[in-house]
Amino acid sequence: MSVLGANFRRDMEIRRYPLLVYVMVPLAALVLQAWLPRVVGPYDYFDLPLVVTVYFALGRRNPIQGTLMGAGMGLFEDALSQHAIGVNGIAKTVVGFIAASVGVRIDVENHTIRLILNFLLSLLSSAIFVFTFRVLLGLDLEWQWFTELFRAIGNSLIAMVLFPLLDRLQIRE
Amino acid sequence: MESFFTRYRNLIVLLAILLVQIVGLAVQVRRTDEGRRTFDPKDPSGVRLIRLWAEGLVAPPERGIQSAKMTAIDVWQSYLYLRHVREQNQDLQKTVDRLRLEQAALLEDARQGERLQALLDFQHRYIYTTLAAQAIGSSGSDQSRVFYLDKGSDNGLKPDMAVITADGIVGKVRDVFPTTAQVLMINDQTSGAGVILETTRIRGILTGNASGRLEVVGILADDRIKPGEKVLTAGGDLVFPRGLPVGEVEKVVRDPDRDAFIDVIVKPAAHIDRLDEVLVITNTQPRFSPEEQQDLATSEAVMGAEAAAIKDQLKASEIMAERLPGLIDPNLPPEQQPLLDTSNPNPVTHPPQALHPDRFTPGDAPGTVPDSGAQTAKPERNPQ
Repeated sequence: MSVLGANFRRDMEIRRYPLLVYVMVPLAALVLQAWLPRVVGPYDYFDLPLVVTVYFALGRRNPIQGTLMGAGMGLFEDALSQHAIGVNGIAKTVVGFIAASVGVRIDVENHTIRLILNFLLSLLSSAIFVFTFRVLLGLDLEWQWFTELFRAIGNSLIAMVLFPLLDRLQIRE
Repeated sequence: MESFFTRYRNLIVLLAILLVQIVGLAVQVRRTDEGRRTFDPKDPSGVRLIRLWAEGLVAPPERGIQSAKMTAIDVWQSYLYLRHVREQNQDLQKTVDRLRLEQAALLEDARQGERLQALLDFQHRYIYTTLAAQAIGSSGSDQSRVFYLDKGSDNGLKPDMAVITADGIVGKVRDVFPTTAQVLMINDQTSGAGVILETTRIRGILTGNASGRLEVVGILADDRIKPGEKVLTAGGDLVFPRGLPVGEVEKVVRDPDRDAFIDVIVKPAAHIDRLDEVLVITNTQPRFSPEEQQDLATSEAVMGAEAAAIKDQLKASEIMAERLPGLIDPNLPPEQQPLLDTSNPNPVTHPPQALHPDRFTPGDAPGTVPDSGAQTAKPERNPQ
């Protein structure tokens, strides 16, 4: 009994939320991501859609849902930029899939593990973004590794506050 | 076969979604004439539709947030925080008076410049009409420095219109939707504007770097470029009118890719990180706008007495100059004019020859030695 199968743990610990939360939280993340950089100026070291994607992917523990949510959030971000649509979409699709796949296998109730996962997945998202831009598309893009590091740290700090708040919104049976 | 799809369902879905996005990206990228790859500036219809949906979803909440923010600021500044308003008002009135005097003084120069431009058939575009708009949102990514305005094609905005503030240029309209417009900021990596350094008159291309700083690229190393020099728009890019402030030189660094070139880091004149209200230049005309003409008329009226006095002084000096003997002989060819004769550094001037010699005429007075020079010298001036 000490060693639980992945499917069993997923069925036991899967999180459910009201439909309104699935709609409003991602939308709020997208709106705030578009609005907050104008308030904080150059210190916009965060990616709220990524944090929300990771949260729901870890909580739902369903790779397909995580993939679709990541793709949707990424494509939405791309649509607001002047870049081609799909660059962020690819990065967040992979992140959503990996987060959900990891969520099946490890204990994601632990806050420290969630923070570490958020940090690592933020770096992975940045790496995929740069790879897609420079290697896959062959486009010029300057980037700074410390900016991506700061963003990963910022995402972890936001997750530290946001994840417990979102936990309160889940349906408890 | 069914078990294969069931077993690898997650992976198949992932690969399918990735494949669709990669194909979509391939459609949006094209190769330039120089062989470089770039995004197609004109979005395909499907891509534009996605952008329209995204903007339609995000814009209303952003508009609401921005409206609430501006209302709060307005209430605070208009009704609550009124310290030193009287002093500021007096200072501003003094500034207006001083600027009117300066404007009147510059008026003639400006008109003369216009006449010369007309003579040279040079069409210099002046800002004619602008539309005030509010920034309501951004892309949310530091790799894409764009922001959105609360005005769109319904308000007459079109792509490639210049966006400015009172301090300097901000960017250009990239995409236009019915009620919103996307502005590409000047510090984006894909942005470009023709600029000129005010003092050295060196031209270059202004663009943004990875950290969002402005830099002028494509300049050969030049020791004359110093920090603090003003940078202005050059007017050759068909977006920004000439002479608008861009910023000032912050420092000069070597171009990492090309040895002989330098990058000039520019501190922007406009506060591009925190924009609330901007102006979109919707029309440019080679003449003064009605508002400017009205300002000029006001300045002329204010300056009427002083201008008349200055004009009278100029007229008096002209009359005086006509009465005084001139240094130019209209009867001599230009090369023989005495002012142009540089053979003698201290030329001796002689009085003109008398029409009716008498005893006071030089050389005719008794007891004097005839001065050969005076007798043989040609008259160098005509009596006035």
